[in-house]
Amino acid sequence: MENLTLKLFGKTLKNPVMNASGTLGYGKEIESLWGIETLGAYVTKGLSAKPHHGNPVPRVWEERNGMINSIGLQNIGVERFFNEYFPYFKQRQTPVIVNFFGFTEEEYIACAEKIKADPLIVALEMNLSCPNIKMGGISFGKEPNMVFEIVKHVKSTTDIPLIIKLTPEVKNIVEIAWAAYEGGANGLTLINTIPAAVVDIRSRCIPLKGGLSGPTIKPVALRAVYECSKAVSIPIVGAGGIMNTEDALSFFMAGATAIQIGTATFVDPYTIPKIISGISNYIDEQGLSLIDDIVGIAHDQ
Amino acid sequence: MYDIEATVVQNKNIVSGYYLLKMHLLKPMGKIQPGQFVMIRIPGNEVFLRRPFSIYEGNKDTISIMYRVAGKGTEILSKVKKNIQTSILGPLGNGFHLNDTDNYHVVAGGIGIAGVNMLIKRLGKRASVFFGCNSKDELQLIKDIKGSDVKIATLDGSEGYKGNVVDLLENYLISTKTEMVETLVCGPKGMYEGLRGLFEKTGTPCQVLVEERMACGFGLCFGCVIRTTDDKEPYKRICKEGPVFDLWKISL
Repeated sequence: MENLTLKLFGKTLKNPVMNASGTLGYGKEIESLWGIETLGAYVTKGLSAKPHHGNPVPRVWEERNGMINSIGLQNIGVERFFNEYFPYFKQRQTPVIVNFFGFTEEEYIACAEKIKADPLIVALEMNLSCPNIKMGGISFGKEPNMVFEIVKHVKSTTDIPLIIKLTPEVKNIVEIAWAAYEGGANGLTLINTIPAAVVDIRSRCIPLKGGLSGPTIKPVALRAVYECSKAVSIPIVGAGGIMNTEDALSFFMAGATAIQIGTATFVDPYTIPKIISGISNYIDEQGLSLIDDIVGIAHDQ
Repeated sequence: MYDIEATVVQNKNIVSGYYLLKMHLLKPMGKIQPGQFVMIRIPGNEVFLRRPFSIYEGNKDTISIMYRVAGKGTEILSKVKKNIQTSILGPLGNGFHLNDTDNYHVVAGGIGIAGVNMLIKRLGKRASVFFGCNSKDELQLIKDIKGSDVKIATLDGSEGYKGNVVDLLENYLISTKTEMVETLVCGPKGMYEGLRGLFEKTGTPCQVLVEERMACGFGLCFGCVIRTTDDKEPYKRICKEGPVFDLWKISL
């Protein structure tokens, strides 16, 4: 599988396949099925400067070809993660991308500052879908100037490469991608879940509002990856409804340098290893040498 | 925990709305503790996520679940025919904590029997069983454990004690002057509230098996949680830290 190797922010990853944040627990949970070192990089559950309890149930709801979740960013806090879980990734020599969030700019900065550079840390992945509680609850990721400002400020507090994970619920995602790029982002993850709701007709209420994921959002994600990768020159991590090798290939062809698998793991917990061998086989069968050979190939057609 | 290919051996309608599904495993599942569960892929393409079910019975080659048709997933499952293939992930979660000598009271309500059937068989003579259901038709659900010591309550009074199973247990404890012992339970939430009331003064140890909508079934997504008395980390994953919890450490 040498044909999957890539360099990302100066670090060598053995493949371009990651889990999406929050869909592989704290990492250890998968170990009886497959080794964490299978991943190109492990993306942490969203971490914050202080622990968060998360939301009451229901937190998940099935949809046709997808699901809605509202976990509420439950996490043990960035410090406990590094004390209790990071040694596991060290021991397994698995590169880590640290997903983090906040509800104020100060909280983002406080969290980023607590993360010390390490040879295994590839990047920070900043979740910009949270409401900015100092700005009436509008999401940080919605306005280009808010994106520019927060990226610039967080970037100035850390030496670790910074990936920005964007919400698709915006007027123009290319403008947001530009704002992140101009603020100093080193990469983008596209896309986060799409805001959605469920109505229970029996109880006539809305039991859950949350983020829609799964194959139903794949075309939306592909469009964002395609448009943004044409517009900005930083690496794009594609995410959104990837269920199999064909889906994965379509993201690379649309312009993603790496991909993340989320909801698919709940349906088939072996999806990640299956996709890794699937894309490697494809590269071989096509007589290509590296996965990079197909990144953005659809742009030229 | 393994993800195992399985073939349907039998999908029997026990009584209206309730089924017993027996599946042949292509590879052994490993040791199963009473109270553990599996995530089953629902055959066909109509349902996206797997569904969690308590293990009713299991050995090296076969596994059975007993279920009530409650939504789309179980509706489709109820129509699955012999020889259909599916995937089963398990065994999952932590079962009941048992020691080798104590006697236990086991309380089940309706389809809750599915969660304690293995437990009752494992405990044998050490279990006194209290079963509650709507009406005597549903006693078909406990046909397999008739050999054990079972006290019955029906809400309509068509057999056994007329009323709910918590009242039956209370009555029994008082009338026979039976000593309260650790109680192991599976049933609807209201039953847990009732038991909490009953045991409030004595603080009787009680383990309950709880359910929730799940996505992954083994701790990846934090989608199925229950609030506990742990102030630092109140929400525990039902699939990973449970599904069996100490009644005194959860909020209902």
